[in-house]
Amino acid sequence: MYIGIDVGGTSTNAVLLENGLVRNFATVPSSADIITSLLEALEKIIANVSSESIERIVLSTTLITNLIAEKKYAPVGLMLIPGPGLSHEHYQYHTDTYILSGAIDYRGRETMPLIDDEIDQAINALNAKGYKNVAVVGKFSVRDNSHELKVVSRIKDLHPDWHVEMGHQVAGQLNFPRRVVSTMLACATRDKYAFFVESVQEALRSRGISGTVYILKADGGTMPLNKVTGIPIETIFSGPAASTLGVQALIPPGETSVVVDIGGTTTDLALILSGQPLLSSKGAPVYEQLTQVRALAVKSVAVGGDSLVQRVGQAIKVLPERLGPPFCLGGPMPTPTDALRVLGLIRVGDAERACEAMDMLGSPLGMSYSEVAQRIINLVVDAIVQQIKYMFTQWEQEPAYRVWEVLQKRKERPEMVVGVGGGAAGFITQIAAKLGANPVLPPYASVANAIGAAVAIPTLQVDLRADTERGYYTVEQEGYQGKIENKRFTEEDALLLAEEWLKKRASKHGLCNPVDNPEITRRDVFNLVRNWSTTGRIYDISVQTPRGIINYIGAKGGCSDA
Amino acid sequence: MPKKTGVIFFPAFDWAISPTHPEREERLLYTRDQIFEEGVMDLPQIQEFAPRLATLKDITRTHFCVPQVQNQVTEAHLIAAGSVMQLGDSVVSGEIQNGFAIVRPPGHHAMRVVHGNRGFCNINNEAILVDYLRHQHGIRKIAIVDSDVHHGDGTQDIFYHDPDVLFISFHQDGRTIYPGTGFTNELGGPGAYARTLNVPLPPGTADETFMYVLDNLVLPVVKDFQPELIINSAGQDNHYSDPLGSMRFTARAYADFTKKLKPHLAVLEGGYAIETALPYVNLTIILALAEIDYANVKEPDYVPGKFKESPEKVAQVHRMVEHLSEIWANKAKVDVSKIFGTGKHYQRNKFIYYDTDYIEEKQQEQVRMCTDCPGYLSIASHAQRGHRTSVRVYTVSIPFQACPSCQCEAYDIYERVKKQQEYDFVYLQDKLTDTYRTYAKNKGQEWITEG
Repeated sequence: MYIGIDVGGTSTNAVLLENGLVRNFATVPSSADIITSLLEALEKIIANVSSESIERIVLSTTLITNLIAEKKYAPVGLMLIPGPGLSHEHYQYHTDTYILSGAIDYRGRETMPLIDDEIDQAINALNAKGYKNVAVVGKFSVRDNSHELKVVSRIKDLHPDWHVEMGHQVAGQLNFPRRVVSTMLACATRDKYAFFVESVQEALRSRGISGTVYILKADGGTMPLNKVTGIPIETIFSGPAASTLGVQALIPPGETSVVVDIGGTTTDLALILSGQPLLSSKGAPVYEQLTQVRALAVKSVAVGGDSLVQRVGQAIKVLPERLGPPFCLGGPMPTPTDALRVLGLIRVGDAERACEAMDMLGSPLGMSYSEVAQRIINLVVDAIVQQIKYMFTQWEQEPAYRVWEVLQKRKERPEMVVGVGGGAAGFITQIAAKLGANPVLPPYASVANAIGAAVAIPTLQVDLRADTERGYYTVEQEGYQGKIENKRFTEEDALLLAEEWLKKRASKHGLCNPVDNPEITRRDVFNLVRNWSTTGRIYDISVQTPRGIINYIGAKGGCSDA
Repeated sequence: MPKKTGVIFFPAFDWAISPTHPEREERLLYTRDQIFEEGVMDLPQIQEFAPRLATLKDITRTHFCVPQVQNQVTEAHLIAAGSVMQLGDSVVSGEIQNGFAIVRPPGHHAMRVVHGNRGFCNINNEAILVDYLRHQHGIRKIAIVDSDVHHGDGTQDIFYHDPDVLFISFHQDGRTIYPGTGFTNELGGPGAYARTLNVPLPPGTADETFMYVLDNLVLPVVKDFQPELIINSAGQDNHYSDPLGSMRFTARAYADFTKKLKPHLAVLEGGYAIETALPYVNLTIILALAEIDYANVKEPDYVPGKFKESPEKVAQVHRMVEHLSEIWANKAKVDVSKIFGTGKHYQRNKFIYYDTDYIEEKQQEQVRMCTDCPGYLSIASHAQRGHRTSVRVYTVSIPFQACPSCQCEAYDIYERVKKQQEYDFVYLQDKLTDTYRTYAKNKGQEWITEG
């Protein structure tokens, strides 16, 4: 049996899946302590189940998101090696930052050496300011990590107790500023995450649960819950990923749909294109700065069931704030939920109070309560529809760097609008109508995020770049840099090497089945020609485990896709 | 917030002329690495756009491809041209303040009639853009400044008789480099005299002289011309490390040039120092367009004072700048009939060599000398490729500014030449009505290029 638990801001959902069917589910209000909420929800669903039969548990939590949002972590000092390029004025990260001399180029060649005295001075300065957490990040460190390694070894000599993170290990893609932010956040969250991991493991052990435990990442993949594997910040924003995977499990495979999660004051939107959740082309943003965390493409609209509705002059406006519950549930001011109640689209709350709320807005304008209610619904629906259309256009306008990518660009529109979350029921039909799609409110929509967690599997990639002229290769996800021994290293060799690394990663991530048929998502070959003769090749190879979910809910069979 | 700088980066990682050709997949690889690692596309001043495909009609609006567009272009060409058009649209609509198309394949050696690839080019991205902007947005006056080390002979050819396009090319002296043209006496046809200006620079010219030419000729002339739009054919092979050119420009100078010229659109042309120049030059051009400080960008091996110019060569360039400035200043006073003669048509004969495809083409170009418009243009072209059967084509082009009588005459000529059955293909390009016809003798068929 599989368990999925999503600890959200207001409520914690849990489901128990058995042979692709929902065997049990529960919702409890979230408390301040994540572990308490998690265990409370867990207890409810495993009441009549033997703990041995639980094969795996997947958690989706706001732990890291909250740590970052509330800045509840020890300060991190930065030692950066940016070299020539953009003005160093750009590197402002609201913490003590020391710029070191030194530079590496795009091929991983040193073009400017480090200066030992500068390193020592920076370490001393950080020490004087009381830093014990330091992130060391160099431009092009993913092509050659020697500068980062050298700086870190000096730090370890002087301060063996410091916690240090290196850019090339945290964020392997090209993008120095995003690498800085990612590495800084990785450094900031590592110890709290380790503490969380221990607490969860202890709690589960004491309940006799021995199934493997995973944590959900922002890209909808899982990683094993242990202290050493993976990077904690990859678990930020796993909530929207959980809901989206849940929908993926609840609707027929292969459809193009938009997931509309309407909450109290915000609506989260995500796209499923031909059955696959759409990943964001940019990393997840934190404090308005981009990171290298792979995340699903999610948009938030500042409207929800509890949004404050006010009359401004002759106009009625839905504002991006919440003053309390809807009027029909005893709240202070009119909300979209009251409008839904008036029109009979939902059945919660007091109908008379809902009408009263509409009259508060409409009587000075000479509008009936049902007219006001319809106006409010239209405002909410329009705001959401506009964002959905924008998401599709944005997806169509993603850059492309290869001829085939430009040629295969396509226009897609949703076949289904799938509502999840508390507020979805009343709005989904009208949103779908405006988009010419079918409205769907799947069963278990209220716990879709927990289902999403339960069906998530590891999404593992390997981006391998081999430079035969320089005789070395790198593996982006591992921060690994190795020699190419074979003098005649071919494209096939590069591909095999990438697949080998993918298998290594898979076993590290507890992927049960071996990686039989990895997908090759990139296979670029660059002939290096110098003075009219070929001097080597650069291979850019990306392989990944098939993306998917462990099973569709209601579909026959168990662990088939993984 | 001020408007953004649009960038389309299309390195065509899956396209090459041949595996070891300078126009191969690797060309923009290190540029990609540099601009991605710098995080340039994330800057609030920069907006990255997706490439798009130009249509066949967009190509026929500018070129006569023999026998058809499909024979001369690959999808990569359509994407490069389409990307430039995309940025053109965004500039005209006011969505961005300027744009940089870092695209390949390049185009500035492609002339009006296209029998094959020459100078790595099949179709002319800037010329296609100009004709598109005129057709789509009604823009008339455009200045094109070509900063490639090679003379922009294709662009010059296409706009040689167009008084509303100012074309300035500075480049390494044609006696020392491909394509062997671009001398100071190439000044445009009778209806567009001095709208073409060429500044052949001696090999070894460095930043200081580059800036002298810019400040004393290029900028004043462009300003005086009052174009609605400025385009830069941003070739980067004037760089000191370029393997094909022998010039001494730095990335910094390219940025200063961009900052001063303020082009609405920069379009990558040549530049084959793919490791030592392109990553830095492309980066500084982006930053200069977006008005971001580029002082910290420099080539790893560059030290100030690296290059000294010979005083004689500098003096020679100064004299040339003075000479061209006079031509520009006095262009209205010149009696063009003394240069081009009188009569109904002005005719010139051209010999064009396609270095990539080994084609030899002979052209007889005639422009109608009309008092009301720039006049229609007809070209009889005879191309020989090795020992294959040669191809003879006749083309008639009606410009955007054409007067009704020129338009009528041009149609009459097209019909007459069709009947003569002397040419394998006869083409009519009517930019006034956006109609493009091709007649194939062997099939006795005529077709119109759509969409």
